[in-house]
Amino acid sequence: MSSEITTTAEFLSDDPVKRAPLVDPRLDYHSVTETVSAIAERPKPPKAWYAAFAVALSLTLMLFALIGYLIVEGVGVWGNNNPAFWGFPIVNFVFWVGIGHAGTLISAILFLFRQKWRTSINRFAEAMTIFAVVCAGLFPGIHVGRIWFAYWLFPVPNQMEMWPNFRSPLLWDVFAVGTYATVSLLFWYFGMIPDLATLRDRARSRLSKILYGVFSLGWTGSAREWHRYERSYLILAALATPLVLSVHSVVSFDFAVAQLPGWHTTIFPPYFVAGAIFSGFAMVQTLMVPARRFFGLEKIVTMRHIENMNKVILATGSMVGYAYGIEFFIAWYSGNPNESFVFLNRAFGPYAWAYWIMVSCNVIFPQLFWFKKIRRNLLITMVIVMLVNVGMWFERFVIVVTSLSRDFVPASWGYFKPTAVDLLMLLGSFGLFFTLFLLFLRFLPIVAMAEVKGVMPHDHGPKEKGAPESAGGER
Amino acid sequence: MHQVDLEAVRNERRHLGELAPKVIRIALGLGIVGVASGVVFALIGAGWRHFLFSYTAAFAYVLSLALGGMFFVVVKHLTKAGWNVTVRRIGELSAATLPFLFLLFLPILGVVLAGSGELFRWADPEVARTDHLIHAKAPWLNPTSFALRWVLFFVIWTVISRFFFKRSVEQDESGDPALTKRMEFLSAPSMILFALTLTFASFDLLMSLDAHWFSTIFGVYYFSGAVVGFLSFAILAYMFLQRFGILQSAVTVEHYHDLGKLLFAFVFFWGYIAFSQYMLIWYGNIPEETVWFQHRQSGTWAGVAIVLLFGHFLIPFPGLLSRHAKRKLGILAFWAAWMMIMHYVDIYYIVMPNFDSHHAPLHVMDITVWIGMTSLFVALVAWVGRHCSLLPVKDPRLSEALAFENS
Repeated sequence: MSSEITTTAEFLSDDPVKRAPLVDPRLDYHSVTETVSAIAERPKPPKAWYAAFAVALSLTLMLFALIGYLIVEGVGVWGNNNPAFWGFPIVNFVFWVGIGHAGTLISAILFLFRQKWRTSINRFAEAMTIFAVVCAGLFPGIHVGRIWFAYWLFPVPNQMEMWPNFRSPLLWDVFAVGTYATVSLLFWYFGMIPDLATLRDRARSRLSKILYGVFSLGWTGSAREWHRYERSYLILAALATPLVLSVHSVVSFDFAVAQLPGWHTTIFPPYFVAGAIFSGFAMVQTLMVPARRFFGLEKIVTMRHIENMNKVILATGSMVGYAYGIEFFIAWYSGNPNESFVFLNRAFGPYAWAYWIMVSCNVIFPQLFWFKKIRRNLLITMVIVMLVNVGMWFERFVIVVTSLSRDFVPASWGYFKPTAVDLLMLLGSFGLFFTLFLLFLRFLPIVAMAEVKGVMPHDHGPKEKGAPESAGGER
Repeated sequence: MHQVDLEAVRNERRHLGELAPKVIRIALGLGIVGVASGVVFALIGAGWRHFLFSYTAAFAYVLSLALGGMFFVVVKHLTKAGWNVTVRRIGELSAATLPFLFLLFLPILGVVLAGSGELFRWADPEVARTDHLIHAKAPWLNPTSFALRWVLFFVIWTVISRFFFKRSVEQDESGDPALTKRMEFLSAPSMILFALTLTFASFDLLMSLDAHWFSTIFGVYYFSGAVVGFLSFAILAYMFLQRFGILQSAVTVEHYHDLGKLLFAFVFFWGYIAFSQYMLIWYGNIPEETVWFQHRQSGTWAGVAIVLLFGHFLIPFPGLLSRHAKRKLGILAFWAAWMMIMHYVDIYYIVMPNFDSHHAPLHVMDITVWIGMTSLFVALVAWVGRHCSLLPVKDPRLSEALAFENS
C-alpha cells in the first residue's frame, strides 16, 4: 500500500474523513507471518528470556514449596486471624480474577463492537487471561485448609450425601470461574488454530512438526473451514460476552451478599466488573509495552493500540472512581451509622495508607491519560499502568481487610498483619504467572496473524470514497 | 454485496417539511388532552396526589428518553463510531428537548418548593423535623438544595445537548470535519457530566420518593432503562419517518439491525442490573433495604413485578435474540413498541408504590398522562427538528454508515 504514510502524525491521525490504518501500512501479509512466527521459531530464545524465566521459575518453585508448607502446617501460617479471617488469599484471588478480564473483553465484547484494532492484541490478552485465572484458582483451592477435601467444592455424588451449599456465593464462584476458565481457554485455543497451522507448515524440526500438527487439528485453510471457523468464532464471542460480566459479578457477590458494612452494597457487581477490566487492561499494557519492543512488534501493535488501551484504562478507571464516590455518598445518605463509619474508617482509620494508595493509583493517576501526549508516551504509560496494578491489588485489600478488621463490636476489632508467607506467596503467584507467560512467548504465535491480516488493507475491499478499507461486516 | 443507491440518498426527502406541523399539531393536541385528562380525573375523584405521582412517573419516563438520546450521541462521538451516522440525529433531537422538559418539571419543583410532603415526604418541614432519618438527610434532601441541583442538572443538560445539536446541524451546511473533531474532543467530559447528573437526578426524582431507602446501583438502573427506552423510540421514529417517505434510502436494514442489537444488549444489561439490585437486597435481608421490595411484591404489586420480570427481560430476551427478529422490520417494531411500554411499567413500578404501597393503583389517568407526556415529547422532538435535515448530510463518516453492512 501507500508508502507515503510514514510519519507518526499521519499514522495516528484522528482525521474523521479517513480512518487511519490499523497496523503499519508498510507491513504485508508475508512480513506479518515472518515477524510473528520468527519469535516462536528461533532455535534459541535470547538470553534475557532465560534470565526472566529463571527468576519466574524460581518464584514459582518457591510458591509451590510454600503451598507444601501450608498444607503441612495449616492455614495458621498466614496472617488470617480473628477478626480478619479473609486476608491475602482472597485478596490475591480477586486480584488475579480481575486481571483475567481483559482477554475476554477484547476477544468477545470488542469483537461484537467491531473494534478491529483488537486483532493485534487479542491473542496476547487472552493468553494472559488464562494464566491469571490459573493464579486466581490456586488461592481458594489452598484456602480450604484441608486441601485433600477441595473436591467437595464440586457437587460430586457421594455416599455421605454431602452437598455443597448452593446458597453460598462461594460455590457460585466455583462455577463462575470454572466456566470462565473453560470458555476462555476454548476461545484462546480456537482462535489460535489457523496460526498453529502456519507454524506447523513452517516447522523445521520433527518434534515441532508433530506438536503443532496435532494441535492445529488438521487445519488446511480451505474456504469451507474458514466459513465454519468464523461462524463458530462469532457464536463463541456471543457466549463469552455475558461471562465477562458474570464472573466478577459473582466474585462481588462473595462480599455483597453479606451484611457487613462496606461489603453489602448494590453497586458491587458492575463496579467490580469495571474494576476488573481496568486492572486487566493495565496488565495487558504492562506486558505489551516491553514485549512489542523486545520482539519488534511495533508495526503490528502500534502507538494507536497503546493509546486505545490507555483510553479504556481511563474510562474504566473513571467508572471505578464513580463507584467509590457513589458508595461514599450513599454511606452518608443511608443514614446508617455503621456504613458511614466504615467509609470514614477506610479513609482516615488505621488503613488510611492503603485507602489512599488505592484512590491515588486507581482514580487520580489514570486521569493523566486525558492528555494525548501522555497516552502516547511509553515511559509514563508504563509508570501509570504499574500504579494501576498496585492500586487494584490494594482495592481488594481495602475491601476485604478494612471491613473485617473493624466490624460492629469494637471489642473484637483487630489489625490485620500479613506474615512472610503471605507476602512470598503473593510474589510467588507473579512467578507462576510470568512462567506461564514466558512459555507462551517462547512457543506459541503471540499475535493473531490470521486476524491481523484480515484487517489489513487488501485489494478487493469496498472502494467507495472515504470508506476505510476495513469498513463492512464483523470480519 | 449490497450497495446503497447513493443517487437515491442524494435525492430523497430528508426534512420533516410539511409533516412537521402535522406531527406537532397532533402530538401537542394529544399531549394537552392527555395531561389535562389527568387534571380532570384528579378533580372528579382520583385526587391530586394520584395525579402528582402519575405526572412524576410520566415525567421520569420522557426525561429518560431524552437522556438516553444524549447518551447515544455522546457515546457515538466518544467511540468515533461510523455505522450510526445515519441514525444519530434522532438522538440529538431527543436530547435537544431537555431545556424544554424543564418546563414540564416545574410542577414537580413547585410542589417541593411549596413545602408539600404529598409527593416527596422529605419536602414537608414538619416531617423533616420529626422523622429522624429524614432529619439526618436534610442537608441533601431539602427544597432549596433540590431546586439548586435541578437547575444545575438542566443547565448542564442544556449546554451539552445544544452543543452537540448545533455543531451537528452546522456541519450539515459547512461539512467541516473539524466540527466532528470538536464534538469528539468534548464527548469525554460530556460523558462524565452525563453520568453524574443522571445518577443524582435519579436519586432525587425517583429514589428519594422513598426517602428512607437507598441503593448505590440506582443510577445505573435508571440509566439502563433510559437507554432501552430511547433505542426503542429511535427504532420506531425512523420507521415512522420512512413510512412518510423520509430517509428511505439512507437508513437501511443494517442500521435497524444494529439498533436492534443494542436494544437487545440493553435489555440484557437492564436485567443484569435489576437482578444485581434485587438479589443483593433480598439476600442481605436487612429490613431498611428490603422494605422497598416488600412494598413492590405485596398485594397487586407482586403482579406488576412479575410482568416486569417477564415483560422487560425474560420474554424480549429470546424475542430479540435472533438475527431474523432484528432484520424483519415488523418484528423489530413490535419489540420496540413492547419495550417502550415495559419501560413505562418499570418507571411505574418505581414511582407508584410510594403512592399506594399495597395495591397497584392503576387508573385511566396513569395511561393518559403517560401517553400525553410522551406525545408532548414527540411534539418537542418534531418542533426542535422542524427545519433541520434528519440526516447529517455532510458528516465525514456518512459514507461509512451508508456502506456499512452486517456480515
